[in-house]
Amino acid sequence: MDLDALKADLKKDFSEISSQEELNILKVKYLGKKGHISELSKNIKNLSKKDRPEFGKAIGELRKLCEENIFSAQEKIEAISIKESLEKDQIDITLPGSFKSQGKLHPLTVTTLKITDFFSAQGYLIEDGPEIESDYYNFDALNIPLDHPARDMHDTFYLDNGDLLRTHTSPVQIRAIEKRGAPLKIICPGKVYRSDADKTHTPMFHQIEGLVISENVNFGHLKNEIMTFIDFLFGPETKVRFRPSYFPFTEPSAEVDIMDKKTKKWLEIMGCGLVHPNVIDMAGLNSKQLSGFAFGMGIERMAKLLYELEDMRSLFTNDIKFLSQ
Amino acid sequence: MKILYSRLLEAINSKPKIDNLCADLTMIGIEVDGIESLQGDKVIDFDLTPNRGDCFSVKGLARDYCAFKNKKFVFSESFSFKGKNEFKKNIKLSASDACSAYSAVSISNLKYKKKFPQNIKKSLKASGIQSIHPLVDIINFVMLERGQPMHVFDQDKINGNIEVRFAKPKETLEILGEKKLKLTSDCLVIADEKEPIAFAGISGGINHSVTKTTKNFIIESAFFAPTAIKGKARRYGFQTDASQRFERGVDFELHEEALREVIVLTKDIFDADVSEIKTKKNKYYPRKKAISISLNDIKQKLGVSISENFLISTLKRLEIKLLKKTKSIFVFEVPSHRFDLSIKEDLIEEIARMIGYDNLSQIKSDPVSQNYEISQYDFLNAIKVFMNNKGFFEVINYSFLDEKVLENLNISENSISLKNPLNNSLSTLRTSLLPSLAANLEFNLNRGQNYLKLFEIGKTFSKKNPRESLNLAALLYDNEKMKNWNSNQDLDFYHLKGIIEDLAVEFRLSDLSWKKTTNDLLHPYASADIFQKSKKIGSVGSLNPRYLKKIDLAKAFYYFELKIDSLHRKNLEKLTSSSIFPTSQRDFSLEVDKKISYEQIENCIKTSSKSYLQSLRIFDVYSGKNIDQEKKSIAIRITWGSNKKTLSEDEITQETSLIISGLERKLKAILR
Repeated sequence: MDLDALKADLKKDFSEISSQEELNILKVKYLGKKGHISELSKNIKNLSKKDRPEFGKAIGELRKLCEENIFSAQEKIEAISIKESLEKDQIDITLPGSFKSQGKLHPLTVTTLKITDFFSAQGYLIEDGPEIESDYYNFDALNIPLDHPARDMHDTFYLDNGDLLRTHTSPVQIRAIEKRGAPLKIICPGKVYRSDADKTHTPMFHQIEGLVISENVNFGHLKNEIMTFIDFLFGPETKVRFRPSYFPFTEPSAEVDIMDKKTKKWLEIMGCGLVHPNVIDMAGLNSKQLSGFAFGMGIERMAKLLYELEDMRSLFTNDIKFLSQ
Repeated sequence: MKILYSRLLEAINSKPKIDNLCADLTMIGIEVDGIESLQGDKVIDFDLTPNRGDCFSVKGLARDYCAFKNKKFVFSESFSFKGKNEFKKNIKLSASDACSAYSAVSISNLKYKKKFPQNIKKSLKASGIQSIHPLVDIINFVMLERGQPMHVFDQDKINGNIEVRFAKPKETLEILGEKKLKLTSDCLVIADEKEPIAFAGISGGINHSVTKTTKNFIIESAFFAPTAIKGKARRYGFQTDASQRFERGVDFELHEEALREVIVLTKDIFDADVSEIKTKKNKYYPRKKAISISLNDIKQKLGVSISENFLISTLKRLEIKLLKKTKSIFVFEVPSHRFDLSIKEDLIEEIARMIGYDNLSQIKSDPVSQNYEISQYDFLNAIKVFMNNKGFFEVINYSFLDEKVLENLNISENSISLKNPLNNSLSTLRTSLLPSLAANLEFNLNRGQNYLKLFEIGKTFSKKNPRESLNLAALLYDNEKMKNWNSNQDLDFYHLKGIIEDLAVEFRLSDLSWKKTTNDLLHPYASADIFQKSKKIGSVGSLNPRYLKKIDLAKAFYYFELKIDSLHRKNLEKLTSSSIFPTSQRDFSLEVDKKISYEQIENCIKTSSKSYLQSLRIFDVYSGKNIDQEKKSIAIRITWGSNKKTLSEDEITQETSLIISGLERKLKAILR
């Protein structure tokens, strides 16, 4: 066999290779002690001295070509075998993940967090207080004396010892002023209780209130805070109106309405106002030097708007089908 | 309060559409609750705030509307008249400022001159006031018109003179609806010489009221101070049109004007003998209040500057007159119908109302800067998210439940009951979150759930201190025969314990320990109490089987409850780099008496191996086949290491033999 024929055979053999066994055979066939290349190189002794170097060089190149072919064949075979073994590992990626384990926060918690996140970022501290309150903190300190008609607006649950379940989160404002003094900027989320139950009222519900006290706080600051908040919660396109209202602990007092985008009706969403000087004085500060604003809203009502909820009571059935939505 | 739309239009002397009228009124703080139809007319239902007693009439509403619209307001006043005779009874005011003005007139020989006017009947009907007697209808109509509640007595039932006084001990009064009120010494009454004949400003006594056969009438029109009326009707569980108005404040200059209007209407409809009006006032009769204010006060509170002219003219529209001005201080006089105006902030609100709240500008500066603090609230929310990630759904339950539920579970001791619960099922504040979670479980089981992981963060209440405790409770119920397609893990005590251990890691709660439970709610041999140092912070386990029947469950649930408001949390600790030397591990398989706890084994190993012990991990517990009934087999992997060197085979062997001999000696363990 001459050189060229061997070269052609080699190319052909290696191009058809597909397994390690075949490769092993080819290795012996070409590079073994009795392989083609060794056999061919024996012919050198038949050549003239002049031709020998060239032939030797050609044999060397042929050996190199063979080694190169072995190397690339080896790579090819390994690639094939990895591919085969990967195919054996195939799984059904459409099966659901192992044990499903993610719970959910209650919609009221989600709503509260949205609100507290906003006010935290505005520098408000978050405060809470007891749910069992005294008459003093729930009413008197908030400028609601015993015979005040405003107590009619609060259907209060009383305990035997004369204490009560707080009817609003406002007592926390008083406790925070007593604890921290002024300037002050707090937000107080929490449970409140009123003896009321129908489609829009539950005997326990949640409120969140804000209070800012400092020198020179005015109605313009209050409006700005509320408007920025409504932009955040309901979107900057939301139509808002402020209208006069009455709370014993604020003067002037306002109710804030937003326009329902679907029904085009005004929806009452929160009350607010400048803190009544009596409240500031009773909490131990001086209303001649300090002023403030306060605002408060029902979290259920906010949740109702954010989730487009129909019946408020479904928030308290704790039906897992409802909660896992 | 319901008022006819057509009547309001007359009073304001213009014809806005009902929607525009209601929108304007809303924007000055007079909220409209709804609009109804009546005989081709509309009725507007107003939801008045407690401060605006002055708006409790057609006159009051029209007055405020015209002020806002800057329109001239006119409401007809009746001329004076000459009565046929004197009012014969004496009137004595004995209750100081509670009643400082009282007018009365007597009427007799009523004969119809014409048909009773339809407009009066319609107004009463619109307002939901029953037609009783023509004279009563007239005084009620005048009340709707002008805001002055009055009362008609049967003159012949009154013994002698009239006195306004506080009730005497043990006096009673029977009012409409057959209620017999036991009066107390702070109840203001109208009395004759024998007994109370009316609960002043609230309700007349039934024994002295007019009937169909009444021939001679006395009409009372008085000024009762709000402080004398406030809360009284509510105390007896009712309210009346009169009490609503008087406790908010009725114009103290109105009583005679209203009475004259009653007489005019009466004489228009009837031939009647009408006496002179008799009015008695005492020294407590109120004077109009004065309020001082400066332009700077207004700027400070509203954030806008207004001119002197604007201030004076705006308040004038509301009948608030400038009395005098000294330097920068303006002194204004409050009209007799505005009981809600007493400090300068009240005037500032009036100015804001007239400007319109929506026209006040926003101010974008932040008035307060204060130091940031992490609150307990952030911790609670982090726990909630943690529980979510452990697969638990958050629930929120009422804080109160049926006392019986607590009694059934033997946890009613020191519980707090409401004095006035909505109903029995919401009568008592919960002492534990367990009953609520158990109720949630039952609710969901009835709706086909077999697998449930719930948690709640809420307060529990006790008569003992502290009265309120903020708790985290979780419930785990797993009765699902078909597990997930590739998981067969049993959710049990150890699952919950693992969650609490993870919670401790996540929130750096140090020094937790677990002891056999003393919590009667839980299975005594399969539950634990959890301590932080020496303080009990909660328990974990399965519900005691004896309660299973009481809450109707086929299978016990697992549950834990932790007090989270006083947990001790470690600060961030120093971090050290891990050793570059390899660690060594050995696995041990032991057989020990069943009664020996893992804790005992762990302690024994820790005290036996003197050096290099890094960790031990239990990876198998087995009892049953091939093992003595009284024994269990335990497999533990122990790891040793040093940050100074690689441990030699000899050192490991030495530690191993120390451990084995310790286990054999102290716990009679047999190495397998």
